Amino acid sequence: MDAANITLVLVIVTALAFDFTNGFHDTANAMAASISTGALKPKVAVGLSAVLNLVGAFLSVQVALTVTNAVINLQTKDGAPNPELLADGGQAVLLIILAGLAGGILWNLFTWLLGLPSSSSHALLGGLTGAGAAGLGWAGVKWSGDGTKLDGVVGKILLPSMISPVIAIAVAFTGCWLVHKVTESVMHRLEERYFRYGQVGSASLVSIAHGTNDAQKTMGVMTLALIASGHWTSTTSIPVWVKFSAATAIAAGTYLGGWRIIRTLGKGLVDITPRQGMSSDGSTAAVLLSASHLGFALSTTHVATGSVLGGGLGRGTPVRWSTAGRMVTAWATTFPIAALMGALMWWIGDSVGGAVGASVVFLILAGFSTWIFRSSRREHVGADNVNDEWEKAAEITSPAYEHAPVTHTGDHTDDDEAEHGRAEPTETKTH
Amino acid sequence: MNTLQLLLKGASEVLVAGLVFGAGLPFVYAVALRVLTIGSTAYADPSGEIHSTPRMSSRLFAALLIAVVVAGIVVGMMIIVATGFGKEVSFANIYPTIVDK
Repeated sequence: MDAANITLVLVIVTALAFDFTNGFHDTANAMAASISTGALKPKVAVGLSAVLNLVGAFLSVQVALTVTNAVINLQTKDGAPNPELLADGGQAVLLIILAGLAGGILWNLFTWLLGLPSSSSHALLGGLTGAGAAGLGWAGVKWSGDGTKLDGVVGKILLPSMISPVIAIAVAFTGCWLVHKVTESVMHRLEERYFRYGQVGSASLVSIAHGTNDAQKTMGVMTLALIASGHWTSTTSIPVWVKFSAATAIAAGTYLGGWRIIRTLGKGLVDITPRQGMSSDGSTAAVLLSASHLGFALSTTHVATGSVLGGGLGRGTPVRWSTAGRMVTAWATTFPIAALMGALMWWIGDSVGGAVGASVVFLILAGFSTWIFRSSRREHVGADNVNDEWEKAAEITSPAYEHAPVTHTGDHTDDDEAEHGRAEPTETKTH
Repeated sequence: MNTLQLLLKGASEVLVAGLVFGAGLPFVYAVALRVLTIGSTAYADPSGEIHSTPRMSSRLFAALLIAVVVAGIVVGMMIIVATGFGKEVSFANIYPTIVDK
């Protein structure tokens, strides 16, 4: 086995590992609200989301081969690697991909440990940008588009990440306000479970869309590595095993459930009711799919978080602004830090050189992952305690609600929403 | 167009579509639930179970509204499937169809 082949194997394993972290890091986007309002039991929620991610991944018939083209000049327009980088059996391209994936995984794991919902796609593209800049020089980075469409680091990452939460907040706020206006006079006669149905429906759409979009990216990166090393030639199709393995990895990751992040998004930011949850999830699904249809790159994480926040604000529910602040910090730092890690990994791999260099990068990644995993066991968060009361009540800084109890959800007392956090789906019959 | 114009154009389109579907459909769904309470008598028995019998006209109207919501979900699914197949959804015929990009 020559150097390029060994590196290729490491790239494939690392790509699947990234896909796996992508799964559990983003479970919260679809399911946090449904879990926190009791629309779905935690295990059922992650199981449903995993199955739908798998379905979504298999719907990815189209090859997302040009995924790195958004930020670096590694590939040509049709998705093949730049020919001048293909000396040494594609080792140069492979190392950039490996280092980029490693950078993305490192940041995904670190933010998971902290329970912060940061964007997996920003972590991936950040890692690749850093590794690309280190391997190709600054000229290898695509900062902005050519004026015909939003592209590059500025147009696909920086600007959308600032504007997407605002859109999501506006949509969820409006939806939540409207839903409450219509139903508040008859709230005592409506059952929470009807809102939970709406919530589960929209959360399911988000899960399928996630499988389609995100698994496609990993499949694209894996196929790029195969082309670079001469094991695949088509730029319009991908190997069946790539599709199967990537789909399985993202679904398995989703089923693992990033409980820390689910907890932060579902309980830590704002305590929402099923009506608010339906508005939030409806907003997430609609904004994501509209953006997908209109070709506007948005991060699922930013949209989901904005929607939960909007659903809370639409009903005047106290928001834990300190949690919101930590999330925003994580968003702002995801791309640059993943880029730094990607660059560092590339530099290490390149300094050592060859297959040994790639192996060193892989071992560093494995070591760090083990350390993160061990650290995570010190403070267990799982399906059993994901919905426990968020203790840091003092963090609520919204002056209007200074004295509001954490479990209470604003000014309405016409139903039993105060218990929504732990409530099982109501089994009431209507006839 | 410069980047800022492109951004504002894209963002405003997403905002409008998001409001129509993301706020509009939950609203329609809530109206359907509200309609079901019109003309019906409801009471809660001691165990907290709610019993009510909506009028037929309310039921029909609510069914119509729910159908609108279901249609919205179908459009959403079509967009996901189209993305997976590298195609896009066209509204040129008013009703959505999946077409080549």
